[in-house]
Amino acid sequence: MKKLSGDKIDMNKLLAPAALIILYIFFSAFGNNFFSADTFKNILEASYYIGFMAFGVTFIIITGGIDLSLGTVMMCSALLGAYTFKQGCPLILSVLLTILVGVFFGLLNGLLIAKLKLPPFIATLGTQMVSQGMGSIITKVQSQTWPTATDLTGGWFKRTFIRANLFGINGFPVGALWLLGAFVIATLILHKTKFGRYTYAMGSNEEATRLSGINVDNWKMGIYILSGLFIGMAGLMYAAAYTTITPGTGNGQEMNGITGVVIGGTSMSGGSGTMVGTLIGVFIMSVLKTGLSSCGLQAPWQTFFTGVVVILAVLMDIQRTKAANRAKK
Amino acid sequence: MKMKKRIALLLALTMVAGMTGCGAASTETTTTDSSGTEEAAEASGETMYIPLLAKGFQHQYWQTVYAGAKDAAEKYGVELYFDGPPSETDIDAQVNMFKQELAKNPVAMGLAALSPESLYEVLDECAEKNIPVVCFDAGVPDDPSGAVVATASTDNEAAASIAAEKFGECEKLVEKMKNATPENPVVIGVIPQDAVSATQIGRGKGFVDKMKEIASQYGTVTVTGHEVWKDEADNASIIIDVEVPATTEAVSVQTVANSLLSTKGLAAVFLCNEGAVTGFLAAVSDGEDLAEGGKYAELVVAGFDAGAAQKNAVRQGWFLGSVSQNPYMIGYDAVEMCVKAAKGETVSDIDTGAVWYDASNMDDPEIAQLVYD
Repeated sequence: MKKLSGDKIDMNKLLAPAALIILYIFFSAFGNNFFSADTFKNILEASYYIGFMAFGVTFIIITGGIDLSLGTVMMCSALLGAYTFKQGCPLILSVLLTILVGVFFGLLNGLLIAKLKLPPFIATLGTQMVSQGMGSIITKVQSQTWPTATDLTGGWFKRTFIRANLFGINGFPVGALWLLGAFVIATLILHKTKFGRYTYAMGSNEEATRLSGINVDNWKMGIYILSGLFIGMAGLMYAAAYTTITPGTGNGQEMNGITGVVIGGTSMSGGSGTMVGTLIGVFIMSVLKTGLSSCGLQAPWQTFFTGVVVILAVLMDIQRTKAANRAKK
Repeated sequence: MKMKKRIALLLALTMVAGMTGCGAASTETTTTDSSGTEEAAEASGETMYIPLLAKGFQHQYWQTVYAGAKDAAEKYGVELYFDGPPSETDIDAQVNMFKQELAKNPVAMGLAALSPESLYEVLDECAEKNIPVVCFDAGVPDDPSGAVVATASTDNEAAASIAAEKFGECEKLVEKMKNATPENPVVIGVIPQDAVSATQIGRGKGFVDKMKEIASQYGTVTVTGHEVWKDEADNASIIIDVEVPATTEAVSVQTVANSLLSTKGLAAVFLCNEGAVTGFLAAVSDGEDLAEGGKYAELVVAGFDAGAAQKNAVRQGWFLGSVSQNPYMIGYDAVEMCVKAAKGETVSDIDTGAVWYDASNMDDPEIAQLVYD
């Protein structure tokens, strides 16, 4: 019996990567010029900011929480960063501020949820609107522009975060290195530290964790702050990839992050999930979107099929949990 | 065992999903091909693949652009791909689409840029790959890459100034402006859908500048509201108030419209596009409040663009009239210019023109074809 359940878990682990590879091969065969360095780079570049958001929210979802403010906080941080830069602030400070705005909203979410006991859904729904409003108010509802690669001041911004002349390649996707770095750090924190262990523990049974003498509130605060840090970084990556930030946007972007996490096999009820799953989930989404477009399918179809994949992924997650429970018995 | 079954099921579904997709796309292509075979043979040896990336799909306006593009594609035997982001603020979605289309190595590309700066680097790649880009609807000002060969668009400032001229000819409004005093000022509201796109900024500016020029005959004019257009003067008896919604969604426009409608002394409103009109109409009970005997019967309203709701408001006489660009020609010219550019011919900017339509002339054939549903 024991051996059988072991096999099952291995299969589960392979499922998401296998789906990713098969999707890639499938679109390479049927898409118009899908299998090319350009397309690969496009997939990467569209994934950076979603990846950062997803890494951050993975921690939160594992605790059984949710963060609806992801997208608007990301936009708010990118907006304020660009705004301060436009006002004459040195770019490096604007970059730091961008991350700090993310951390600030993480702290705010943490306070509301861990200390003031608001349900995460409500608390982050509130901060979603607060951050969107704040970005619009401070920028006076005008779109803000980060420096482009050819700008004399601040041209390094894009070269640092999105593409650079590295290893002899013109336009090397340097953002991938940031994503990889963030992935390694997030994985280490989640799987190798006390912080990570408590994250799982809170998600499995918060009360039991509290009773075993762990200061759940403080750790939870920490989790939301860490997530905020990742979201601030997501703001930077978004700014590097898309340059212009429009006030009043960001609603709906949170779903990109959350969808990646869910496809990656993290349970919305908390207590389980992996960082590598999230990474793969994010890429499944990007490959699907890019691939469908290379087949000539327009945006609404891409949204439609992403929805189908989310439903399938969660259905399978439920089946998996059922099977696991049966095996335990 | 069960797991294997599930994997198989997932794969099968994915495949089906993908294939339906590819199937649908190829059917579309064939239709375009078959109907345009003759001309295609005339125009060039093989089918050209040209993607046109619009700012969105949700407004009727883009459907008419698409109709024009389709007709031109048929004429020249072009395999046309027309797409746009889900909403007109989805800059990231458009950048990704543009990159994806570029990866297919088209012979030329059409682009209605949501944010020119965001596309600078991709345009550089176009220049590197020698793929000419034709802008439609909105241009990329001072394109640093040189990839943009020409633009087919409306001169938005000139077009919007038509509405200001019509306001200047409206006796009801002129009377109010004459009688206005700094203590009892008359307010002319303007709602651009955003303060971001060159189109909206241009229309706002075109209207505000002309309106100011006309209204100055009757008193001191101040321009308040959004920073972009602000030009304040003391002791003004005529106030031009430019209000921008928080987001481009109809509900946000409605909110702005409501606050404008409650402004004391409001005499006229100019709405800079179909989105602004839709939101405004929502704030005036779908236009009924503007009708004879309605709450705002005295209000003089003009719009921009067309669309079913706006046309109805014009036909009923609720609106003084509206300005319309020529979306059909924008789409048609964009494809035609792409074809020419792909063949190495030189192309230059085209002003696709604008007209004023009101209840009296909107059924004239030459106007009716511009005023789409």
